[in-house]
Amino acid sequence: MIKSFFKITVLVFFLKGFPLWSQNCDFILSGTVKDLHDGSPIYGAIIRIEGTDSFAQTQENGTYVLKALCAGSVVFLIEYAECNSIRKKVSINSNTTLNFELEHHINALEEIIISDNRLKGLNGNAKESRLNADQISRFSNQSLADALTTLAGVSSLKTGNSIAKPMIHGMYGSRVGIIANGIRLRDQEWGPDHAPNIDLNAFQSVQLVKGATALKYGGDTPGGIIVLSPHRLILRDSLFGQTIMNAATNGWGGSITSKLMKTSSNGYYINGQLTAKRFGDLSSPQYVLSNTGMKEMNISFKLGRSKISKGWELNYSRFQNETGILRSAHIGNIQDLLRALKEDKPLRIEPFTYRINAPKQQGLHQNIHLIYFNQFNDKLKWKWDYNYQVNTRKEFDIRRGVPLDVPAIDLKLQTHSVLGSLQWKKGFNWEMEWGINAMLQDNYSDPNTGVKRLIPDYIKTQLGSYLVGSYKPSNSFHWDWGVRLDRVGWDVQKYYNVSDWKSRNYNTIFPQFEVNNIGNQILVNPALNFLNFAAQTGISIELSEQFNTSFSYVLSQRSPNASELFSDGLHHSLATIEFGSLTLDKESSNKFLFSLTKTQGKLKGAIEPYFSKINNYIFIAPKALQQTIRGAFPVWQYEATDALVWGVDTVLGFDFTDQLNFDINASYTHAQDMKNELPIINIPPFNSSQSIQYSSPKKRFDIKVMHHFTATQNRFPDLNFNVTTLQEDGLIEQEVDVSTPPSAYQKLDVFFSLYLGNIEKSKTSLRFMFYNITQSKYRDYLNRMRFYADEIGRNVQVQFVFSY
Amino acid sequence: MDNTIISYTKNTLLFLFLISVSSCSKDTPEVVNEEELITTVVLNFSTQGEPDQTVRWETEAANSAEIILKANAEYDVQITFLDESDPNDIENINEEIIEEADEHQVFYEFSGVSVTYGQGSSDALDSNQNPVYINSIWNTNAANSGIVRVFLIHEPTTKSATTRDGFGGETDVSVDIPIRIIEE
Repeated sequence: MIKSFFKITVLVFFLKGFPLWSQNCDFILSGTVKDLHDGSPIYGAIIRIEGTDSFAQTQENGTYVLKALCAGSVVFLIEYAECNSIRKKVSINSNTTLNFELEHHINALEEIIISDNRLKGLNGNAKESRLNADQISRFSNQSLADALTTLAGVSSLKTGNSIAKPMIHGMYGSRVGIIANGIRLRDQEWGPDHAPNIDLNAFQSVQLVKGATALKYGGDTPGGIIVLSPHRLILRDSLFGQTIMNAATNGWGGSITSKLMKTSSNGYYINGQLTAKRFGDLSSPQYVLSNTGMKEMNISFKLGRSKISKGWELNYSRFQNETGILRSAHIGNIQDLLRALKEDKPLRIEPFTYRINAPKQQGLHQNIHLIYFNQFNDKLKWKWDYNYQVNTRKEFDIRRGVPLDVPAIDLKLQTHSVLGSLQWKKGFNWEMEWGINAMLQDNYSDPNTGVKRLIPDYIKTQLGSYLVGSYKPSNSFHWDWGVRLDRVGWDVQKYYNVSDWKSRNYNTIFPQFEVNNIGNQILVNPALNFLNFAAQTGISIELSEQFNTSFSYVLSQRSPNASELFSDGLHHSLATIEFGSLTLDKESSNKFLFSLTKTQGKLKGAIEPYFSKINNYIFIAPKALQQTIRGAFPVWQYEATDALVWGVDTVLGFDFTDQLNFDINASYTHAQDMKNELPIINIPPFNSSQSIQYSSPKKRFDIKVMHHFTATQNRFPDLNFNVTTLQEDGLIEQEVDVSTPPSAYQKLDVFFSLYLGNIEKSKTSLRFMFYNITQSKYRDYLNRMRFYADEIGRNVQVQFVFSY
Repeated sequence: MDNTIISYTKNTLLFLFLISVSSCSKDTPEVVNEEELITTVVLNFSTQGEPDQTVRWETEAANSAEIILKANAEYDVQITFLDESDPNDIENINEEIIEEADEHQVFYEFSGVSVTYGQGSSDALDSNQNPVYINSIWNTNAANSGIVRVFLIHEPTTKSATTRDGFGGETDVSVDIPIRIIEE
């Protein structure tokens, strides 16, 4: 009796704020609350109506329902312990759905870059600039670049199918930064055929920041940055994990990835992750792509303790892979290249095998990362990161008279870096962060390869300091800014052929670098220094409940990379001799980005035009022919020009019903070398992907049909050269066409996902994915193997995701 | 708050100091001895009743002297590939080619002159008894002048082709040597 009296009292207490007697007070407000960064549902967030007692709390799947609301204008407050609260004014005159995304508070252990507000601001509808855990799992057996190409404005520069580099607005390599778990990835990023040494499966979310630089990590990425974040930390006793298994018909291989995390309410947490992948030769629609198998094995481990205001973390990760390169792409001279171009299929097609022979690449990347942070009070926090990365890269060529296990390129790059930062905030409006970043990098090129070093031994140092801040007086206005200064120093030891050193006039420009002559080679010790300045500012404004707009400006300066300065050698896949240039200066980019986003209603979308002017843009161009014992070789040399790059990225989504929706992503990039008045090479042509998706009412299954279209790139520089071939009556010149891009193509993918078990609690799902279902035969302009073979044909993949 | 900033700055400077101490300069790198390099192609012609004739194609000069042969004659031709990058240690690459006969093929392409060639008496054979043409017999026809392109092909897709394209594989050597066939 007493018990039920208590119940009624509580009920009355809760309902007293609700004017139940009013006729217009039967509206329902419902929706979901999700994490801004990884899209995961937030459990236990409180949605309050300001000035009343009525509230609701989100369920495990992030949903909430507020009933019996009156018509009129109300102010909502959404609160969650670890997150910044959101205040939102809503006028209610019907049953309404409102979804919220909460941003984590700066004091959560998870790495938050201070510009996160801007991330949301810049890309208002964060949908198009972020991959969540579910989307990452779909790409579990593919690469980071493959996953990112689903976002507008991102392409991938490939060498075959397994080696893919993300390209943002036509820029890649040293112009795009990859930030994993709060640290910049340091591998041999300069090579167009070097895929980032990172396992996508170790992360929970991937964010793309186009153009804008997160100055905390460097001011030298005019293309943009890719931020990979680990699982959000939950400070309660729990043990959870996920296993993803894949099997695919193209390459007859698969992958397995498994992760397990244990957290505890006293702040300790431990996390382990493992990925293994194995594929044999892939197939184009008509033939086997011989020697395109791959294997990969990654492991990562994390241990830490967070007491909200204070904490530490230790991270270790190891990434190891071996990737075969299409056998037919290894050529000896340009006559061999001409022969390959004339054929419409590779010159060597062998039966399917799992064996990976030369030419191939082996990579091993290890990373140790230590974090310590301490928050003194509400306003001030300092944080330390120390990080050591070792990257070894071996490339094996087809060779004569050399044992098979001797690589032609053998590089070991070790990087130490320290990042110290001090974060300060005043109320909810002002935030600032100051930091110092020091880096020491040591590259060693093993002489036992028996091949002239492509990249010399060097020590590179970098010392930088940044100051970034943001001002957010309300939810509808946001301003951020930042500056950074870096000093980059190179201490290099390199052997040049005396003839090359002299023919480039280095003996008169840099006599101070000369050390001594050894036969026909000269040892030089170049010491080069660069001072780079970077700055950015941006505003984002909520124009109305439906529309957001933002504008930003980024100045970035990048000093030339190891390849641009020192590269010296023969590339077997294109029969070119590549030379760096010691006289290069830093590259400066001024980039303007604008976006207009519609976030509500049946039609959602964003349009993002951008414009950038790059002074001293470094690129490689053919210079001359060099006579060798294998015939004449085109010599390519790095040089600088001024470039103009502009383009538009567009994302549109239309919800026909709650179950059926249509999405389209499209982007166009235009890049011009202004000095030479020529288009810039390797710029993605217009491309779009459109999909239609149906989800069953209770989300037991969904089906998605996706169509990709890539236009022909009509803007390309003519870099063709001639080769002399011998005919009955003498030598004749024949043109080697390495410039003309391949034709436009289309392809169709179909995805079918089945959600099993209790959907609310666990996310067990079974997916069937059909890539290139129509066996479309095509070649892609951004694939360096396009001279030799078609892209891969149909692939049927079965994926099982099991969460526990 | 001032104290925290001071201690923070101290720590920062300490770390930077440690980093700069560890950045001692590197050892002088070893000079790379380029392996599998071919710098020189030597062709030696002999026929009865005449002194031997030798022409050399060298990378440094990127050309060679002219081959002068008599019309309607038979020559024994010996080809030698050398690595002369180190004058004190000249390497004869023929040994490797003969050892890996299955992976190598010498091929001659003629333009402007009519010459046929076949297996020489001391030629190397691969495991399928195909001649590598390290040693070959050339039969000249009418007088004329032109070019012979000398190929060393690595991992040819077939060993019994009649054109360079037919052999496939990668070109390790491709040099043009002027040739003149004169009346007896």
